Amino acid sequence: MARSASPPVDPERPGRRKAGVGPSAAERSEDQTEELGERSVELSHFYGGKIETVPKVPVRSLGDFALWYTPGVAAVSRAIQADPDRAFELTGRWNTIAIVTDGSRVLGLGEIGPEAALPVMEGKALLFKVLGGVDAIPVPIRARSPDEFIATVEAMAPAFGGINLEDIASPKCFGILEKLAHRLPIPVWHDDQLGTAAATVAGLLNALTLTHRSMPEVRTVLLGAGAANLVTARLLLELGHSPHTLTLVDQKGILHADREDLDELELRNPWKYRIALATDGGGRTGDLGAALADADVLLAASTPKPDTVRPEHIRAMAKGPIVFALANPMPEIWPEVAEGAGAAIVATGRSDFPNQVNNSLIFPAVFRGVLDARARAIPDEVVLAAARELARGAALKGLSKHHLLPTMEEPEVFPQIAAAVGDTAVRLGIARRKLSHDEFLERAHALMGRPAQLVRALARARLTPPMPRAAPRRRRKNA
Amino acid sequence: MSGEGGRAGRASGSTEPSGPPIHLRPARDADVAALVPLLLRLKRLNEEFDPLLKVREDAEQQARQILKADVGNPKAVVLAAEGVGPDRGKVVGFVRAHVRERAFYAPEFEGVILDIYLLPLYRRRGVGEFVLEEVTKALKAKGAGIVTAEFPAQNEIASRFYSKRGFRPITAVQARSL
Repeated sequence: MARSASPPVDPERPGRRKAGVGPSAAERSEDQTEELGERSVELSHFYGGKIETVPKVPVRSLGDFALWYTPGVAAVSRAIQADPDRAFELTGRWNTIAIVTDGSRVLGLGEIGPEAALPVMEGKALLFKVLGGVDAIPVPIRARSPDEFIATVEAMAPAFGGINLEDIASPKCFGILEKLAHRLPIPVWHDDQLGTAAATVAGLLNALTLTHRSMPEVRTVLLGAGAANLVTARLLLELGHSPHTLTLVDQKGILHADREDLDELELRNPWKYRIALATDGGGRTGDLGAALADADVLLAASTPKPDTVRPEHIRAMAKGPIVFALANPMPEIWPEVAEGAGAAIVATGRSDFPNQVNNSLIFPAVFRGVLDARARAIPDEVVLAAARELARGAALKGLSKHHLLPTMEEPEVFPQIAAAVGDTAVRLGIARRKLSHDEFLERAHALMGRPAQLVRALARARLTPPMPRAAPRRRRKNA
Repeated sequence: MSGEGGRAGRASGSTEPSGPPIHLRPARDADVAALVPLLLRLKRLNEEFDPLLKVREDAEQQARQILKADVGNPKAVVLAAEGVGPDRGKVVGFVRAHVRERAFYAPEFEGVILDIYLLPLYRRRGVGEFVLEEVTKALKAKGAGIVTAEFPAQNEIASRFYSKRGFRPITAVQARSL
C-alpha cells in the first residue's frame, strides 16, 4: 500500500479515508509490523533464540551429580516404574508441556514448514513461561500425514504433563485434537480452536450483560467457519444458545443443511457438517446480509479485510448490536465504522483498540490450572469455566462498552482463571490431584508470579544481556 | 453438541418420536423433477472419491432421462422418500435399483441398488437401514434372489453401511483412464 505518496483523500476509496480511522490504522499497522519484524530478526540473532533450559537444583560440586544423575537417579526411575503417575512428582513432568506443530498454518504465513515454525513456537513457549509459569518445549514435527503427526505426539507424551497444539491447518486440526485428546492421559489443547473460542465466549457473555440480553433469546451470526468459530458455535450451543437462532456464514453464504456442498463436508470436514446440521442456518438461507437481518450478535473470525462487513450490514441488525470483528491484523470492519453504524459494543483481535479478544488471556491460565490439578483432559466444561471466570474478572472491575474483557495489564485475573479450571477438573473427576480452591489459587499465584522474578533477577545479574540498540532502519523508497 | 436440530418444524433428532422421519413410496412421473437434483448430489459426491467418476456436463439431462425411464419400468425400483410432519410431501431422498438377469450364476435374478441418497437432515436414526429394507423387499417381490449394491470403491461410509448389514464384496471393478 502506498504511504505518504497517496493524497490525503484517496479518490478510489473516499469512504474509507473519510472515516479517518480506517486507512491510517491499517497503514500504521503495516508500517509497525515491518519495523517490528526487522528488530525481531536482529534480536533473535543477538540472543540466539528466546528460551533455554536452566537447572532448578543446586549443583554445589560435581559430587552432586551422583544425586541428580547416576547412581542416585536409578532409585527415582524405579519408583516411577512402579507407579508411572509418580513421574508427576519426581520429575518436571508436572509443569512441562510440548508445543507441537506441523507448520501447516503458521500465523498468517500459511504452510511454511516445521523449521520456519520454530521461532513462533519459541515465542509461544516464552508466553507460557512468563504468563503461566509453564515450562513449554517447542517441538515442530515433520509429518507426512495427520496420522503420522498423531503417532509422533503420542510417542513423546511420556515426557509431558500436557500438549499444546499450535498452528495446524483447519480442518485437520479438529481430527488431530480429537484423536490425541482421546488417546492421551494428559490435557491436549489447540489454542486456535479452544483459546480463541473461550476468549470470544467470555467477551460475548459480558456484552450480553451490558446490553441486557440473554443467551437463549439472542440471534447470533458467526462469520467464518474455521477452527475458532466452529468451536465457538459448539460452546454457544452448550451454553444454551438456541440452534434455531444461530447462523454460521462462510464464503459460500449461510451454512445450512440443504447446501449443495454438505456431502463433501461430511467427508472432508465432519465438524463443520455437524454444526451445519445442528443449526441448519438458524432457520435461514442466503448470504451474510440475510443472516444479519435483525441479528443481535455478529462474531466475525474470517478474512483479515475491512469491508468484509459493511456499515449497512450493521444497520440491518437489531438495535444496538454486538459486533466482534476478530480477524487479524485487519478486522472485518473498523470499530469506528461499526459504531458509526449503530453497534453498541465492538471488540477486535487487536491491542490498539478497546476490547481485545486475545487468547493470551486464556491459555496460560488454563494450562496452569490443568497442570496443577494434573488433569487427564480439557473437556468443554473446563473451557467454559475459564471463559466465565475471564468474564467475571472484567465484571469485577466494572463493565463498560470499552471494558468488556480484562487486558493483559490486568494479570490479577489469571490465577483466578487457573483456580476455576482446577476446581472444574476436580469436580469432573479428571484431576489426579484434588486441591481446594484456595490451594489452587495460592499455587497459581506463586507459579505465575515466579517467572517475572526470574526474568528480573537474570537481567539484574546481566546473565540476560540488555537489549542492544536497534540498528538504524533502512529507509523505504517511498518514505 | 446438543444433537441434531433443524429449522423450526424440520426433522429434528431429539424432539421427533422414534421411527424413521421419512415415508417411502414408489416414485411417480411427477417426482422426477424433485429427484433429479438429489441424483446429481449423489453423483457429485461420488466425484469426490475418484477423478475417474467425474460428472459429465450433461449429467442433469441424463438424470432426468434415466429417472423417467426407471419410474414405471417393471425391471426397476424407484422409491421416493418424503418427509413426515410439516415436511410431508417434500421429497427428501430416494433409492433406485434394477433387477438384472445373471447369465451364469444362481440365483438367476439380482437386485442391484444403484443409488441411495438422503438429504443430510434425514440421515441416521435408522433411516438408511429402513430404506435398505424397503428396497430389498421391493426387489424380492420382483423375483430377485440376491441383492447387491454399487458404489465408489473409496466410499468407506457406504462400505461400512453395507458390511454391517451382511453384505460382502463379490465383484471388483478396477479402472484406469485411457
